[in-house]
Parts: sequence; structure tokens; C-alpha cells
Amino acid sequence: MVEGILRSVAGFRRSVVLVAAMAALAGGCATNDTKDQEVWDPLETPNRFVFAINRTVDVIAIRPLTVFYRDWMPEPGQKGVHNALENLQTPVTAINEVVQGAPKRAANSMARFLVNSTIGVAGLFDVASSLGLPKTREDAGKTIGMYAGVPPENGGPYLVLPLAGPSNFRDGAGLLADYAVDPFRILTYALNVDWIAYSGPRLAATVVDARSRTLFALDDLEKNSVDYYAALRSAYTQQRADLIREKRERTDSRSELNRRDNLALVH
Amino acid sequence: MSHPLTYRRAFLRVAAGTAATLIALPAWAADPAAQLILDTSAEVVELMKTKTGIDRQNGFQRILETKFDLPYMGQMALGKYWDGTTPEQRVRFLKATATAEARAYAERFGQYGGQSVTVNKVSPRANGVFEVDSQINQPNGGEPVKLRWEVQNRGSGLRITDVKVEGVSMVMTRRSDFSAYIQRNGGNAQALIQELEARAGR
Repeated sequence: MVEGILRSVAGFRRSVVLVAAMAALAGGCATNDTKDQEVWDPLETPNRFVFAINRTVDVIAIRPLTVFYRDWMPEPGQKGVHNALENLQTPVTAINEVVQGAPKRAANSMARFLVNSTIGVAGLFDVASSLGLPKTREDAGKTIGMYAGVPPENGGPYLVLPLAGPSNFRDGAGLLADYAVDPFRILTYALNVDWIAYSGPRLAATVVDARSRTLFALDDLEKNSVDYYAALRSAYTQQRADLIREKRERTDSRSELNRRDNLALVH
Repeated sequence: MSHPLTYRRAFLRVAAGTAATLIALPAWAADPAAQLILDTSAEVVELMKTKTGIDRQNGFQRILETKFDLPYMGQMALGKYWDGTTPEQRVRFLKATATAEARAYAERFGQYGGQSVTVNKVSPRANGVFEVDSQINQPNGGEPVKLRWEVQNRGSGLRITDVKVEGVSMVMTRRSDFSAYIQRNGGNAQALIQELEARAGR
């Protein structure tokens, strides 16, 4: 079993490790100008290319599927799917909370996981929330952002990932790290579970669930922008920065407020 | 003779009372920045309940013109390209963006579904900006939406100068959007203004 876990970790492709290392580097030493508040996007040309492909795939496949799911799957079913997916992600959240130095929140997450996996029928029902165990959602991108000594708007070069969409080196590295430590992935890999039985359905459900939650906001952004790519790039960067800032503010509110005064929309 | 008046007063008081229960947190009622947000939210809720279509769009336009500092927001949204524009271009730009925003807001909210706005905290910044933290509460127990308003007085009284929804600033997003468009279309604001006007006319 342990051997299986080690094998799966080592089985990670070298290029993947390289990307993660590059991202860590970029997150650490990049000096992005906060004055202009523009997102650092040196890979804009390939990014716009991937963005165009993503949009095509979205228009012909993912969006119609998602609209169908939204309109025909009963509300409780959609909620159940979302809860189950969140439940599968809870161990990763707990691991991140440990790394973030929040053992109490990690314990809360593990308690949530145990309660929802059992009483909540494999996570379909969020029983834990009604028992006073609040939901939290952490990922390694946020963890890196919390510790990186740069403004949270700076996540290294902006990236558009195939299928997953807007990201940056920080969050891309986070995605890989979360994937690497995900106990379910390690377990199913070690037990040689066929991808069609677990990984595939989980990925498909994650895509549809995530897309159904962004339908409204993304339609709105697309309709009301003159350059959708740039608008989404900005919105994504701001939202992630806000989440990371929230994490940092718990520890260091004063310096953060001063910093924000200095760059508050004045040039 | 005084009867109708008192009745009307009483009616107004009741109306104000219901508005206050819908959108209120009395602790901040005294703060002018918080009051501005509460008033604006009340107007928006009222508009959503009573008007649809073009009436709603006009209503939003009026709210934007009276509660928001649109010239300042437009200037910020155009960023460094503002300086290169002629006064005539500025007027056209501000008119087109105001129409676009009003339309976007009118279409953004469908039926009014019982949402309410609460103001949580007002933080005055050293640079004269008041940050007002508030949230939209969903009636069906869904996650509340985080809203942060920037309010400042730039000569025409306290006005809203930015709205951040879940950390995403309207002005900042517009600025990135506009500047990317300008960079890819001739490097000055002319093409952008034409595009915005074409969209407003549609």
C-alpha cells in the first residue's frame, strides 16, 4: 500500500515537477508593477490561443451539457452532486489548512469529512454544516499565495489552462500540488481503480458542476466586455487575490491596510 | 384638516419601516457612507420590484447618475488613456459607458427574489475613501454575496466610486477590459468609444 503511494508520487512526470518548481520560483521573485494594476501576462499569445479553443469546446459541448444539467437535474440532485464533490475535496482542504498553520480548521474539516461521508451518505448531504461545522474551501494556490511575499495580485505569469481556464503559475502549481496529495487519487492509483470507475466520472462531474456555477457570471462578463479575455483575466486575478488577502488579514491586517491605501485606484 | 397629513405621515413612516426591515443594520444608520449604500440598495430593490424592461433600465441610469460618481469612474476605467482624449471624446465615452452600465444592471437582475442587503462595516481610509462592507443575503439560505463599496466625496457630495463583488472591482475590470481593447485597436480611445457607442445603440 505504502509502496503504491510512493510509486504514484514518483510516477508524476518530470515535466510536471519542473513546472511546479518554475512556478514556485516565479511566485517568489517576480516583481510585478502594482501601480498599473495590470495582470502580468507574458504568455498572452499562447494564452489567447488556448482561450479560443476553450471557448469553442465550451460552446459546442460543455455549455450545452451544463445548461441541460441545470434545467433538467432537480435542484436537490444538483446540490447532492455539489456536496459529494466538495466532500471528496475536503481532505485536500484539511491538508492545506495544516500547511497554512490552522490545525483547528483542519480538524474541523476532517470532522466534516467523517460526518458527511457517513451520516451524509457519501457526502451527498452536508449534515456537518447543520451540526455547526462550517464549510471551508482551501487549495494549494491559496496556500502558496498566503506565504509568498508578493502582492496577492501577483501569481506569476497568467495562464489559461486547457479545460480549466483562467489560472496563473501560482494556482497552476497549486492545482498540481493538490492533485499530488489528494488521498483519493493516491488510493485509487494504489488500488489500480480503473479511471472510468472513479477519476473520469469525478472529473466530468466537477466540470459540469463548476460550469453550472459560473454560467451566470461568465455570460454577464462576456456580454458586458469589449475584450472578454482581458476582462476575465482581470476578474480572475482580483478574485483569487481577494481570497488570499482574506487569509493574510487574519495574521497581518495593519500592514495590509496601509498597503492598500497606497495603491487604491489612484495613479 | 390635519387628518390627511398625519395619515400620510403615518403611511410614510410605515413605508420607511418596511424598507428598513428589508435593508437595515441600525448600528451604521448614522454613518453617511453606510446610509448612502442603504439608500442605494433600497432604490435598487424598489426598482426591481416595480419596473421591467426599458423603465428599469432608465431607473438604473438615474440611480447611477445620482448615487455614483460616473465621471470619476469613467476616468479611472480609461486609466492612462484618459489624458489623450479630447473633451468631446470624454463626453461621448461617459455617455456610452453610463448607458452600457444601466443596461447591464437592468439585465443582470431578473425577477426580484427576496434578496436583502446588509451593511456590516465602514472603514475610512487615509486617502478619503470610505470602504463599506456589505452583503447580499439570499432568501433561500444560499451563500451570501460579498459586496464592498468605495465611497468618496470628490466635490459633488458623497458618491459611490467603485463596487467590488466577491473581490472583483467593477472599475478595475473595466479598466483591464478597455485597455486591452485599446491596445489591440489602434492604441487610442477612438476605436473603443465607437465600439461602446455601437453597443449602446444596439
